[in-house]
Amino acid sequence: MKERNSVSSVKRVLINCASQAQVYGICIADKVPEVGRDMCLKEFLALKTCMQNSHIDKIKKEKDILHMMQTRAGSSGSDALSHAYIQSPPIRCNIPETRGLLYDDGNKLLLSPTGDRVLSWKVGAPTERNPPNSDLIGEGAVLSIRYSLDQKAIAIQRSNHEVEFRNRETGMTFSRKCKQDSERILGLFWTDCPTCDIILIKTSGIEMLLYDPEQNGLHIMEAKKLNVNWYVYTHESRMLLLASGMQCTVFSGYQFSAAAGIVRLPKFEMSMTKSESNSKPVLSSDDVHIVTIYGRIYCLQFDRVGMHINVYRFYRDAVVEQGSIPAYSSRVAVSSVDNVILAHQLDAKVVMLYDLFLDSLSPISAPLPLLLKGSYGANSRSKSEESESISSAYEGMIYVDSWNFLVPDLICDVDNGLVWKICLDVEAISASSSDVPSILQFLQRRRSDPAMIKALCLAITRTLILEKRPISVIAQAMDVLVASYSNSLRSGSIPSATQNTGNNHATDSGVVSEHSIVSTDRAKSVIGDSSSKVLIHSPSTSDDDVNPEESEEPAGDKSLKSSVPQQMASHGANVAISPDEMHRFVFTLVEDEMSGDPSYLVSVIVEFLRSASREKLKLNPDIYLMMNHLLARSNQHATIALLVSNKIIEPSKEVAMQLVDLGQQNFKIRKLGLDMLRLLSLHHDYVSILLQDGYYLEALRYARKHKQTTGCGKMPEVSARIVA
Amino acid sequence: MGVSSMAAGSDAMQLQLCVFDLRRGQQEGQELDKILFFYPSDCPFLTQLSLIGLCEGIITFTRIFSPEAACEVIEAEKHSHVFYEAEPDIWMVLVVEKSKDDEPVWRCEALQGVLKEVHSLFKMFYMSIYALLDKQPSGELARSHLHSFITDYLSDFQLGKKVQMPSFRDSLKERGTVQMLTVSREVALEVQSLITAISSCCNGCDSIILFQDLLVSTTLPPDDTTNLFSYATLRLTPHALSSSTSSSWSYLRKGNSTPNLSNLTLLNEHQSRSLDASSLGQNRQISSIPRLLQRDKWSKGKDGFLVPNFSGGESTPVVWNQQTEECKYLCVYQQKGITVVMLVPVSSLANGEQELVQVKKEFLENVAQRVTIVEQKLSRGWGGENAYHVSGYRYLLIDRDRSVSRATPTGKVTTLTKESLLYLNKLREEVDIEKWRWHRDNPDQEKELEVCIRAKNNAWVIAKVTRGKELYMVLEKANETLLYATDAVEKFSNRYCEGAFSMEY
Repeated sequence: MKERNSVSSVKRVLINCASQAQVYGICIADKVPEVGRDMCLKEFLALKTCMQNSHIDKIKKEKDILHMMQTRAGSSGSDALSHAYIQSPPIRCNIPETRGLLYDDGNKLLLSPTGDRVLSWKVGAPTERNPPNSDLIGEGAVLSIRYSLDQKAIAIQRSNHEVEFRNRETGMTFSRKCKQDSERILGLFWTDCPTCDIILIKTSGIEMLLYDPEQNGLHIMEAKKLNVNWYVYTHESRMLLLASGMQCTVFSGYQFSAAAGIVRLPKFEMSMTKSESNSKPVLSSDDVHIVTIYGRIYCLQFDRVGMHINVYRFYRDAVVEQGSIPAYSSRVAVSSVDNVILAHQLDAKVVMLYDLFLDSLSPISAPLPLLLKGSYGANSRSKSEESESISSAYEGMIYVDSWNFLVPDLICDVDNGLVWKICLDVEAISASSSDVPSILQFLQRRRSDPAMIKALCLAITRTLILEKRPISVIAQAMDVLVASYSNSLRSGSIPSATQNTGNNHATDSGVVSEHSIVSTDRAKSVIGDSSSKVLIHSPSTSDDDVNPEESEEPAGDKSLKSSVPQQMASHGANVAISPDEMHRFVFTLVEDEMSGDPSYLVSVIVEFLRSASREKLKLNPDIYLMMNHLLARSNQHATIALLVSNKIIEPSKEVAMQLVDLGQQNFKIRKLGLDMLRLLSLHHDYVSILLQDGYYLEALRYARKHKQTTGCGKMPEVSARIVA
Repeated sequence: MGVSSMAAGSDAMQLQLCVFDLRRGQQEGQELDKILFFYPSDCPFLTQLSLIGLCEGIITFTRIFSPEAACEVIEAEKHSHVFYEAEPDIWMVLVVEKSKDDEPVWRCEALQGVLKEVHSLFKMFYMSIYALLDKQPSGELARSHLHSFITDYLSDFQLGKKVQMPSFRDSLKERGTVQMLTVSREVALEVQSLITAISSCCNGCDSIILFQDLLVSTTLPPDDTTNLFSYATLRLTPHALSSSTSSSWSYLRKGNSTPNLSNLTLLNEHQSRSLDASSLGQNRQISSIPRLLQRDKWSKGKDGFLVPNFSGGESTPVVWNQQTEECKYLCVYQQKGITVVMLVPVSSLANGEQELVQVKKEFLENVAQRVTIVEQKLSRGWGGENAYHVSGYRYLLIDRDRSVSRATPTGKVTTLTKESLLYLNKLREEVDIEKWRWHRDNPDQEKELEVCIRAKNNAWVIAKVTRGKELYMVLEKANETLLYATDAVEKFSNRYCEGAFSMEY
C-alpha cells in the first residue's frame, strides 16, 4: 500500500509540476554534456518548490478523504475532527511466546505470562520503552495475576479453584484452594485496607484475608456469605460490586479503602428494560463500569435492550440513580480521562464525552471518532511523514474487537499486543462550542497539562474581549476564572502570598498522606452515622476544604469519595489564572491590540473587579493604574473621580502618584491623588506635592502635625523651599 | 427710585422675577419687547418696564468698570435685586423684599443659585433662550416656553399663596450640587456593572441611577449630571412622584404644598393678550408646549417605566446634553427606591419613538432583573432618611470639584434656633464674598479659610474652606472653649471627610 502511494505521488507531482519540470529539462538538455554543480539552479528550485507544495497538497487531500482515520498534519487542534485521541506510539507488549495480556490496575502493571515467567510493564512510567521486568511464576495455567501493592508478593489464579501466592523475595509459594463442588473463585485483588490484604471473591461470597509473608500463609479476617454471579472492582475507586440474582441486577457494594476501612453499601438493584419477548435479559459484567470522576464514584450500567446507559452515583449510605445517557451501539465501553467520561460506541466507532461535574448528563460534544495522533518532532516535514507512517502502520486498528478498555484511560489491544493511552483534545473541545463561559469552566476543571490549558484559557479570554462580545458573557467568563482561582487558592493547590497555609509545598506523596489522614477522620464519621439514611446532610464540621476534590463539591454533599487522590498537577502549574496573570496576559495584551474607545475595556475590567471582590481577592494596583490610564485617555475625569470616591479603584501609593501625574492636565484629578496620599498617611509624598503646588502653609502645618511620623528631616526641607 | 412704585403695590408683592433681553426693544416705544418673562405676570406693564429700566441702567453703568461681570446685586432699602446673566445680554433678575429687622434673611448666592438652576433646567430641555429666539425672532416662542417653565418651577417654592425663596433657613443646603449615596465597594461594583448592562441595551446611552433622592452613579459629565439630578429629585424620584404625602423626605426640598397653578393658567392668557403680538395660531402653539416641569405629569406605568403625560408635544421628553450637544430621549425606569434615568440619543433611533419601545423591551428583558437585585442591596445598606445625620452636629459639606454636597437632614436642621441659622447665613454670605475676592485676585490658587464664631446664643458657627472643599457647621449646646469647637471639627473631619479639614495641630 505504501508503494502504491509513492507511485501515485510521483505521478501527481509530474502532472502538477509539468511546466516546471519541462523548463528544468530543457535547461539541462541545453547544457549536457557539461554537467556542473548548481547548474540550472533557478529552474531546479522552481521545480523543487512545486513538488513540495504538491506533496503537501496531497497530504491535505488525503486528510480530507480519510479524515476519519487519518491523523492531522499538524498538532494544532483547531482543525480537529475529534475530541479524543489515542497517542502514538503505543506501548508494545507483543513479545513472542506470551500468552495474552493481563492488567493489574492496583499497581498499573501490564502483565504477560510466558511459560514459567511473567513479564510486567509499568504503565505511565516515563521509561515505557524499557524492557519489561520479569518474574518467575512457575509452570501452570494463569487466569489472572495480581501483584501485592508493595509488590513483594504475587497472587496467581491458576484455576477456578486455586490461587497460588508467591513471595517475590524468597520465592516461597503456597496455594489456597476452595471447595471443588460448591464454589468457584471468581477473582481476587490486593487492598490497602487496614484490616486485610487480599479480597477473594468466590461464587459463595467474599473472604477478606490477611497475608503473612513470614509464615507464608493467609489468615481469614472476615468472610461474607452471599451468592455472587460476577464482580466488578477497580483499584481506583476501591469499590467492589457483587452481582447476584437471576438477571444479575442485584448488587452488594463494598469499599475497601486505606482510610475508611470497609464501607458496606446498601443492597441496590439496577434497572433493566424488558425485551419484547418474555425472556429476561441478564446483565453482563462487561456492561457495568465503575468510574471515578472528581473523586466521586459512579457506576455506569449499559442497558442493551433499552439502548441507554444508566448512571448511578455512590453515596456513603445510598446509591442514587442520576439518570441515563443514550447509547448508539450494541456494545459500549467506558473510559475516564481527566475526569471526563468517554462512552465508546464500539459499533458506531465514535466516542461521546460527558462531564458529570454539575450532574448534567448532556454530552460535551457531538459523537466523533477516536483519533490516532502521533507525537511529532519539531520539523514539519517529519510530521507529515510520520503521520503517514502512523496511519499506515495502525490503520484499521481503531475500535477493533480485540480492544480491551482498561480503567481508567487505557486500551489494550490484545491481538496486537499494544496498549494505547486515551487523551482529550481540549483545544478541539473548546473550539467546538460557542458557550465560552461553560468552556472555561470545563477547562478550569481539567488537571492534565495545566500549562497548555492555562494558555488556552487566556487566549480564549483575550479573543472574547477582542471580539467585543456582550459584557454579560464577559462577566460570566470572569466569574468562572476568578472563582476557579480562588477555589484553588483556598484549597492550597497554589501558593499565595496572602494565604500561605504552609501545606502548599508538600510533595506528591505528602499530599497523598495528608489526604489519607483527612479521609481517616471522615471514615470515622461515616461509620458513626451509618444508621442515618438521610441522603443529603448539612456539611459536618470536619468537612474542611482541605483537599481540592472536596472543595469542588457542592455544599451539603456527603458523597462516597474514592480514597485515591486525583492526579493533581504540582502546584507550580495550576490551570487557575491569578489576577496578576489576568492583567498581564489578558488586559495588557488586549489593550495593545484594541484601538479606539477604551470604555469597553473599562467595563470588562469592572466586571473582573466585581468577580474578584466577590471572591475577596486582593488585587495588584497595576489594574487600577490601567483603568485610570484608559479613562484619562478618553477624558472621563468625572468617572475617575466617581470610581476613586466609591473605592472601586482602591487607594494605593501607585494609584495616588498616577493621579497626581494625570493631574498635570486636570487639577481636580491631582487633588484626588493628593487626598489619597493623605488618606494613606504617606506624609512625605503628601507634603512634597503640597510644596510643589505652592501650598507652603498647608505643608508646614501638616508637617508639624505629623512631625513624629515624618521625622524631623521634613521641617528643614519645607523651610528651605519657602526660603527659595 | 423706580422701584418704589412696585413696593407701593401691596403686601402680596413679595417677589419679582424677570427675564429680559438687552438687545431687543432698542427703539423707544418698543421697550416691552425686551421682556421675555415677568413674574407676577399680572403686574402692570409700567411696573415691569420700570424694573427692567432700572436693571438695564445699572448693568450698562457697571459694565463700564467691569465688563466681564457687570452687576451681582442691588441692595436697596426694602429690596434686594439679584442679577444673573443667563446668556450673553439675557438677564434674569430676582427681586426679594427685605425683612423689617436688620438681619439679612437672604443670601445673594443662594438666590442666584435659584436663577442658575432654573436656567440650567431650561437649557436642558430647550437648548437655550437664544436658540428659541433664533427660531422665532418675534420672541413668542421663547416667551411662552419661559412662561410655562418658570411658573412651573416657581410652584415648588409656593407656600400657600406666597412664593418663598430659599432663606436663612436653607443655609445648610447647597443648590446646584448633587447628593450622593455612600455605598460599599462591592455594591459600587455591582452598580457599575449595571450601568454597563444598561448602556449595552440602549446603544451605549448615558444613564444615571438614583436611590431615593440620592445619586448612586452616573455616566454623564458633572454639569449634565447636576441638571438631571435636580430634575429627577424634583419630578421623578419616588418621593417626587408621591409629593402629596408630605411625610416622605427629600434632601432638596420638602414637598409641603400642592401647587396652586390656577392663577398661573390665568396669567398665561393674560400675558398673551396683553402682549398682543400673538395671533390665534400662536395661542394654540402656547397651549401645545409640553410643560416638563409641571407637577404630577409623570406616573408609574405597569412595566416600571414612568409614563409622561404632558399636554401636547411628543410623548417622550427630549433633553439636550450640553457636553455632547445631542438630543436625547428621557427614559425613566423605577423600581421601589431605585430610579434609572436613561438618555437615549435621538439620532441612534432611526424610527424615533417606535424604536424606543424596543429599547424598553430589551431593558425589561435583560436589565430589570438586575435592577431589582441592586435595589435590594442598596436598600439593605441604606440608613434611611437620617442616614447622614451626625448627632450633635448640624453641617453642610460641599465638594466643589465634584459638585457634591452632603448635609444634615432637613428634619434635624429645624431643631436649630433661628439665631444660629441667621448667624450661619451671615457667615456664609461673608465666606461667599471672601472666596469671590480671593478668586478674583488669585485665579490659580484656592482659598483656604477658617472662621469660628461664638454667637450670642452661645452656639458655635463654623466655616472651613480648604482646597475646593467647604464645611459649614453649627454646634449648639456646645462647650464654651474654642478648643472644644476646633476639636469637634477635627473629629468630624477625620470621621466623615477623610481628614480633609484636619489641618490643626
